[in-house]
Amino acid sequence: MGSFMLRRIIYVIPTLIAVSLISFLVIAIPPGDFITRTAELRAAQGDIMPLAEQEAMRRAYGLDLPVMVQYWNWISGVLLRGDFGFSFSFNLPVKDVIWPRLGLTVVLSVASLLFIWVVAIPIGIYSAVRRYSAGDYLATFLGFLGLAIPNFLLALAVMYIAFAWFGMNVGGLFSPEYLEAPWSWGRVLDLLNHLWLPMIVLGTAGTASVIRVIRANLMDELHKPYVTAARAKGKGEFALLMKYPVRHALNPFVSGQNDIFVDIVSGGTIVAIVMGLQTTGPLLLDALRTQDMYMAASFILMLSVLVVIGTLLSDLLLAWLDPRIRYQQG
Amino acid sequence: MQKDRFGITRLLTVTSVLLGTTALPGAIALPVQAQDVANACASGFTEAPQLKAQVDAGTLPPVAKRLPLEPLVIQPAEEIGVYGGQFIDSWGGGNVADLRQFGYEPLVRWSVDGSEVVPGIAKSWDVSEDATTYTFHLREGMKWSDGQPFTADDIIFWWDRVENNPKVMTGGPRAELKNNGAVPTVTKVDDYTVTFAYEQPNGLFLQNMAGPYGQRVVQFPAHYMEQFDIDLNPDGVAEMMAAAGATDYAAWWKGNVGSYGDAAQFNNPERPSIHAWIGTDTLLGKERVTYVRNPYYFAVDPSCQQLPYIDERVWTVAADPEVTLLQSIQGQITMSPRNVSTPQNRAVFFDSQEAGDYRLVPATSCDYNTAVLGFSVNHPDPIKAQVFGSKDFRAGVSLAINRQEIIDTIYLGQGEPFQPAPLPNSPFYNETLAKEFTEFDPAAAAEHLDKIIPMGPDGVRVGPDGQPFKFSVEINADFKPDTVDAFQLIERTWKQAGLDVTINYHSDELFGNARAKPDADAAVWVGENGCGQLPLLNLGRFMNDYGYWSLGNWSGWAAWDMLRLNPEATLPEGWAPIEPPANVQRLYVLRSTIPTTVGDEQAALMKEFTDLLAEEFLTIGIANPAGYYRSVKNNLHNVPAELIEGWLYPGPAPANFSTFFFK
Repeated sequence: MGSFMLRRIIYVIPTLIAVSLISFLVIAIPPGDFITRTAELRAAQGDIMPLAEQEAMRRAYGLDLPVMVQYWNWISGVLLRGDFGFSFSFNLPVKDVIWPRLGLTVVLSVASLLFIWVVAIPIGIYSAVRRYSAGDYLATFLGFLGLAIPNFLLALAVMYIAFAWFGMNVGGLFSPEYLEAPWSWGRVLDLLNHLWLPMIVLGTAGTASVIRVIRANLMDELHKPYVTAARAKGKGEFALLMKYPVRHALNPFVSGQNDIFVDIVSGGTIVAIVMGLQTTGPLLLDALRTQDMYMAASFILMLSVLVVIGTLLSDLLLAWLDPRIRYQQG
Repeated sequence: MQKDRFGITRLLTVTSVLLGTTALPGAIALPVQAQDVANACASGFTEAPQLKAQVDAGTLPPVAKRLPLEPLVIQPAEEIGVYGGQFIDSWGGGNVADLRQFGYEPLVRWSVDGSEVVPGIAKSWDVSEDATTYTFHLREGMKWSDGQPFTADDIIFWWDRVENNPKVMTGGPRAELKNNGAVPTVTKVDDYTVTFAYEQPNGLFLQNMAGPYGQRVVQFPAHYMEQFDIDLNPDGVAEMMAAAGATDYAAWWKGNVGSYGDAAQFNNPERPSIHAWIGTDTLLGKERVTYVRNPYYFAVDPSCQQLPYIDERVWTVAADPEVTLLQSIQGQITMSPRNVSTPQNRAVFFDSQEAGDYRLVPATSCDYNTAVLGFSVNHPDPIKAQVFGSKDFRAGVSLAINRQEIIDTIYLGQGEPFQPAPLPNSPFYNETLAKEFTEFDPAAAAEHLDKIIPMGPDGVRVGPDGQPFKFSVEINADFKPDTVDAFQLIERTWKQAGLDVTINYHSDELFGNARAKPDADAAVWVGENGCGQLPLLNLGRFMNDYGYWSLGNWSGWAAWDMLRLNPEATLPEGWAPIEPPANVQRLYVLRSTIPTTVGDEQAALMKEFTDLLAEEFLTIGIANPAGYYRSVKNNLHNVPAELIEGWLYPGPAPANFSTFFFK
């Protein structure tokens, strides 16, 4: 187990280097930079930004340096000083902008993940055991519906219902009075009060696929000889179900957890924009649009690190769940 | 009848917008606002209860000590108001420094209806007989929001240490402050008098000062700003930069002090200001920003109550316009922001009036066109340059646009077919320029087009070289989505006219690159600043010459003009001078001459300018915009019966938000 973990962790390092380089180049290589974008935005307001001012800005921000020099300045700051660079549009160190957003993103993602588990696993098991029953058909139908409806559309529909039927204050994770308030019980309750909308929206698609995975796997397991053997030994039906076939059926589910997490983090962007959530998605999109390069690159880097760590965790969890895996090479 | 139901017809009757005359030399403008209040308010001033409490507790000087000797008296639109309340705004997260949503306190300001320039921070001004020297009289005893006096020194500080300081990042004095390229001499006469002196007469100075660029003059409190100046406080600046990890002074300055257009100028709650509301926290990266009343705000109402009436202004961030729209019709926003108050959304706004407890207030647009199409007359391909440079081509293309269909289907029947030209409410309106080639006439279009690109055998026109002639048009799909709809209709009628056109729709981020490509054929932008006197300040754009940001590859002519004015000028990279036709040369000459003239001479030259524009027909428009409005909460009063939207008239900010109140 130890060497397996070590090997897995060592693989992470080159992955991260490649990710950091790519996340920086993705922003730096296309034509135009933060300054051209600023000029463009000013033009949309009616102002024409003089060329001299643009050149002065470019020089001052170091955007006239070669790309690799800019990359080295940034990545060496990240590695040596934990300094993720400077966000041009926020005029703040990148980390000051990102951390609060990342916190809310994790809260939302974990909440959505829990929602998926709580809803999908029991339904998946029920569907497998009582397959082709009315309940199975209903669950399957709803699952497909959840999978088929695009998240942003669902977000709009849920927002409309919350607005038109319940008169809720939609848009955002907090009521206006709590937006910039310090943390308090009132703020936590307010967050919970708003969290369920995006949680359901983000959770539905994941729920559907988890139901399918569990159902299909469990159906394979239910007729294997070991189940018959256990039943013959007089083991109670529910305990039997939970102890063996369900544990086996969870294997692909666990390895798929990371994908679901990535989906929630990245797929959540459109939902977050539509619903006005203070998560990382809209900020990242904005950073990309304004070519706020250190911020965008740092964001992509951090999200990639999360994904890499998530993969690592799911691998380790899988190794624990299924002892055969940790003895294989690779 | 949808129109009547929406009450749009009222909009069309508006004629009073921005109709004033230019500043006449020797005249001292003293409109009603600047009457002597020392007598009127002999019995004293009153203030908001919360400030009164602070005065009673001894933490704030009494109101009479905070106000200047002669405060600005603002006549409310309806009635004297009462103190209190919170004005809620939505903010798309873009540039907060856009003063159209933030505040408007320049040296001199546009009147509410935009018809004239009236006193603001300057209580009055004198213009020399030859219109070269402008002397502004400041208000004695006026104070910054920290209680320090506002004097001529603050303006001199801005001129010497900001606008003309090569160490900070302004790029030198803005063109709007110059006159025919020359900078003024700015002198302090005494503590409350400042003079701007030009070598040539400057006929546009007051109008420029009332626009967005005038704000730059009065946002640098010298006593506070000195600490950020590397020459005045080298050690302190070095320390602050080290603490921030900054290495470049100009970049650090821009991020922490900033000039007009930079978010930094509003991001420091410690920075003294002269606005009616002042910040309580940094705003960048925040989801919700609160501004509170400035106890030293320099204006009062006619019954001697210190303004503003409203206690707080709050901005909440909503990145998606749909969220903003929903919040607006829910009645959570005191006045709907510009980006959602479009003709397209009028029906949904109208239907939710009762539920959201708001009303719709018309907001006339100062834009002179919904879309301006400019062809690349200096295209590097000689065939294309020849075709785009031909007036017959441009006329034919224009005649092949069905403007009424576009207006009916996209602009809900509002507005009329219009070319890029001063609006009818402007003294410089020129009917020929505005209306030529606006009818949809395929036969006439074919007649014009046949002269330069005759119809080929397969229904596609061929160029002067005998090859099929193709061109493309670059459009920013994010900026104004209605342009996309319009050009889908235009593409259809153009194809019927035998034009082989490709319309390229770009996102905001990519449009800049597409437009700036040296071989771009044509690009579309909106026409801004067409009402009242604004065309005077906007001559270049009527010629489609936006300077370096030139649409339709105007750079060849622009470069020629730069060298004409200054043979020593260094041209931007990639620009090569191309001599324009005689009429266009004259247009360039007029563009640089008109600002140096006043009165009748100016009017005559403007007539020549628009006549020549009509003769050359350089750019193509669709319609003049109409049908804009803002939703305003029913309990908000003193909102003018009609608002104006614009850029050089930075509407709706000049509508005196400080007199708005809740009842």
